[in-house]
Amino acid sequence: MDTLVEFRHITKRFPGIVANNDISLSIQKGEILAILGENGAGKSTLMSMLFGMQIPDEGDILIRGKKEHISSPLVANDLNIGMVHQHFMLVENQSITENIIMGIEPKKRYFGLFPYVDIQSSKEKVRELSKQYQLEVDPESIIEDIPVSTRQRVEILKMLYRNAEILIFDEPTAVLTPQEIESLLGIIKNLRDSGKTIILITHKLDEIKKIADRCAILCKGKMVGVFDVASTTTQEMSALMVGREVSLTLSSTEHKRGTEVLRVEGLSVETNEHIRKVDKVSFTLHRGEVLSIAGVAGNGQVEIADAIAGLLPVKEGAIFLAGKDISGCTVRERIESGVAYIPEDRQSVGLILDFPLRENLCLKQYYQDPYSNSRGVLQKQEMESLAKQLISTYDIRSGSGVNTLARSMSGGNQQKAIIAREINLQADLLIFVQPTRGLDVGAIETIHKKIDELRAQGKAILLISLELDEIMELADSILVLYNGKVQTIKQASEMTKLEVGEYMMGVHVEKA
Amino acid sequence: MDSIIIEGIAFSIPLFIIAIGGIYSEGSGVINLALEGLLGFGAFAGGLSYALLSSVITGNPLLLIYASLAFAMVGGALLASLHALMCIKFKANQVISGVVINMLSVALTAFLANQINASVFGQPSNKFLLEIFPKVTVPLLSKIPILGALFTDLYTFVPIIVVIALIMAYILYKTPFGMHIRACGDNPHAVAAAGGNVMKIRFISVLVSGALAGLGGMCFAYSISTTFSPNIYMGFGYLAIAAYIFGSWKISRTFLACILFGFARSAGYVLVQKLELPSSYGDLVLTLPYIVTLVLLLFFSSKTKAPRALGDVYE
Repeated sequence: MDTLVEFRHITKRFPGIVANNDISLSIQKGEILAILGENGAGKSTLMSMLFGMQIPDEGDILIRGKKEHISSPLVANDLNIGMVHQHFMLVENQSITENIIMGIEPKKRYFGLFPYVDIQSSKEKVRELSKQYQLEVDPESIIEDIPVSTRQRVEILKMLYRNAEILIFDEPTAVLTPQEIESLLGIIKNLRDSGKTIILITHKLDEIKKIADRCAILCKGKMVGVFDVASTTTQEMSALMVGREVSLTLSSTEHKRGTEVLRVEGLSVETNEHIRKVDKVSFTLHRGEVLSIAGVAGNGQVEIADAIAGLLPVKEGAIFLAGKDISGCTVRERIESGVAYIPEDRQSVGLILDFPLRENLCLKQYYQDPYSNSRGVLQKQEMESLAKQLISTYDIRSGSGVNTLARSMSGGNQQKAIIAREINLQADLLIFVQPTRGLDVGAIETIHKKIDELRAQGKAILLISLELDEIMELADSILVLYNGKVQTIKQASEMTKLEVGEYMMGVHVEKA
Repeated sequence: MDSIIIEGIAFSIPLFIIAIGGIYSEGSGVINLALEGLLGFGAFAGGLSYALLSSVITGNPLLLIYASLAFAMVGGALLASLHALMCIKFKANQVISGVVINMLSVALTAFLANQINASVFGQPSNKFLLEIFPKVTVPLLSKIPILGALFTDLYTFVPIIVVIALIMAYILYKTPFGMHIRACGDNPHAVAAAGGNVMKIRFISVLVSGALAGLGGMCFAYSISTTFSPNIYMGFGYLAIAAYIFGSWKISRTFLACILFGFARSAGYVLVQKLELPSSYGDLVLTLPYIVTLVLLLFFSSKTKAPRALGDVYE
C-alpha cells in the first residue's frame, strides 16, 4: 500500500498546553484509520492541521510523498482533502444543492452575457453523486427542514463533489441515533471500498472495532502508538487511551428500593404546533431506583423530561413529586421542591455560555442565602467558594478556575459542571437526559459511577438515553417509549437488549 | 383615485430601493439601522452636486438631474463605508453604529450645508434648491382605465429604480455572488469553509445598501420638497426597515409592503382633501404609514424570519 499522508514530528502548542507533542503518523491509501483519544487528547488539533485550519509549530506534513504547507482549507481542498466537522458548516436557508456547490458554482449566461448559477445541472450532478455513493438526499430540500443525519450526508457529498480523496470525519456519530450510526458506518465502509482514504476521529471503541483497519491512539497530546484493530481488544485500546485500566462495565452496588418519589399519571404533552409527543404515559419512580426511558430519538422521551422539569406545559394528566401534584408549579417551585435536571442540550439549556463557571454553578441558587444577601445583592465571595468547592470535587477542568467562561470549556467539562450543580441541589429526583452524549470513555465512566453512587444514596433517578448499552448497564427498570406511548415497563433484569430494541422499534410481540 | 396611484407610486418606489439596500446589508448579516442617515447623506451629496454643477453644466438640466442621482449614490456609499468599517473591521456593535450614523448624518449635513452655502454661494441656508424632476405620461398605456394612472405623470426616476431593482434582485438570487451574500447572513463559517471572503462580501453588501439608500433619498428630495433640507430626515429609512422586515428580507414581498405604505400615505392625503379638512390635518396623514406599520406588526412580526447570522460578528 502507498503512504498517502505522513505527519513527521508534529508539535502544536496553544497558550498553556502542548496540544500535539512530537507526533509522527503515516496514513495508507484506501484504509480507514481511526484516531482515538479522550477529549482534549489532541485528535482534532492534529486533523485540523491536515485540513489547514491550524499550522504546526514544528514538523512537516507530507501528502503523496511531497512536503506541503497547508495554510488554509482551500489549500487542503486542492490537495483533495475534505473534512466533515463536528459542527456542520451548512447554510440553513439554502437548498442541499446550493450548499454543495458553494464556492465552485457552475455558471451559465443569460443571452450569453449575464452569468447565473446553473442550479439545474448542479441538481443532476448531486443526484448522481448521491446515487453513486448511496447517500440518498433530495437535492432540492432546504437544510433547515432536514434531520441531522441527512445534513451529515450533505457534508459528505460536499467533500465528494470537490473530488476529495482523503476524508476526515470529526466524531461523526456523536449526533446520531443508533440506527443512523449503523447506516453511517456502512457509508464510510462504502467510501473506503470505492478507493477513498478515511480518517475517523472518535472515542467510541465499538465503532472502531466495527469498521476501522488501524487505530492511532493519542493520550495527552502524545502518540501512544498505531494498532491493528483486528488484533487489539477494546479493553486494551481503552487502557491505552486513558492511560489506565477502565472498567467498561459497572459492578452495580446492591440497593434497596425505597419510598415513591415521582408518580406520573396519564401524562400527555403537546408541542407548540399541537403535535402530541407524549400520550397518556404513567409510571412511578422510587428512592434508590434508576428508571430508564428507552426509545429511538424523537419518540417523546425528552418531552417527558421537559414536562417534569416544567419546561413544557402538561396537556393532560398529573405529576406527583413525593405525593404532591407539581404539574401546575413554576420551574422554580419544582426546583425548590426537589427536581434536578441535566438537560439534553447542555449548551443552550444547561449553561449560559458567556457566564463564568462561578455564576453557572450557582444558576439555580443565586437568589438564595448566602449567594444573595437580604437586600438582594449578589455575594460574589460566596459564589466563588461554592464554585471552587464544586470544581475540585467534580474535577471540572477549566483554564482559569471560577472565572472560566463556559463557552471555552470542552463538552465533557461542561457536562461535569452541570452535573455538579444539579447534584449539589440535593434534590430527591434527578433527571438525566443523554448524560454521556459526545463524551469520551473516561468521562462516561465518571458519570456512570456518579449515577450509581446517587442511587446508593437513595436518590430517585430518571435516565433518558439513546444508548442502549448505557440503559442496560445502569437501569433497574426500563420504560420503552414508542410514538409517545408506553410500550412496556419492566425490571431491567427481565428484558434482554434485543427485546428492548424490538420494543423501541414498536415491533415486539408479546409471547403468550 | 388617479392621484392616489400617482402619489403612491412616487413614494413607494424610492422607499422600495432603500429597502433593497437594507436587504443587501442585512442579508449578508450586518444589521443596518443606518438607512435613515444614509438616505439623508445621499440626498445631501446629490443636492450639493446639483448646486455645484449647475454653474458648470448649463443648458442641460436633465444631465444635471441624473448626475445628482449618481452623486447621491456615491454619497450614500461613502457614509455606508463608515458603518461597514465599524461593524466588520472593528467589530463594533452594529445597532449602535447604525444609530450613531443616523445622528451623525443629521448633524453633519446640516453643518456642511450651512457652511457650503455661506462660503461658496454667499447665502447662509441649510437647503439646496433643486429642479422639479421630469415626469412623463406614456401615450397609449396611460389611457387604460384605472391602471393608466400608473403611466400618467410618472417621475422618470420610477422606471430607473425599477430597472435597478430588477438588477439587484437578479444579482442577489441568481449569481454566485448573491448566493454568497445570502449565505453570509445565514452561516458565514460555511462561506469561509467554501473559500469565500466573508468580510469582503459583507463590506460590499453594506456599500451597496448605502448607494441604494442614497438613490432613494435623492428621489425623495426631488419628489417631496424639490430641495435638499434637513426635513429629509422624516423616518423614511425606518419605514424602509419595517418594509423589508414585513417582506421577510425577500425582495418580492418587500415590494408589496412598500406599495402598501405608499398607498396608505397617498390615500390619506386624498382623504384630507376630499373631506376638506384644514391643511394642518396633512400632518396627521404623515402618521398613516406608521400606524399601518403598527397594525401590521400585530399580524406579521411572528411570521417573518431574519437571516440567522444577522448581527453576528464574524472573526
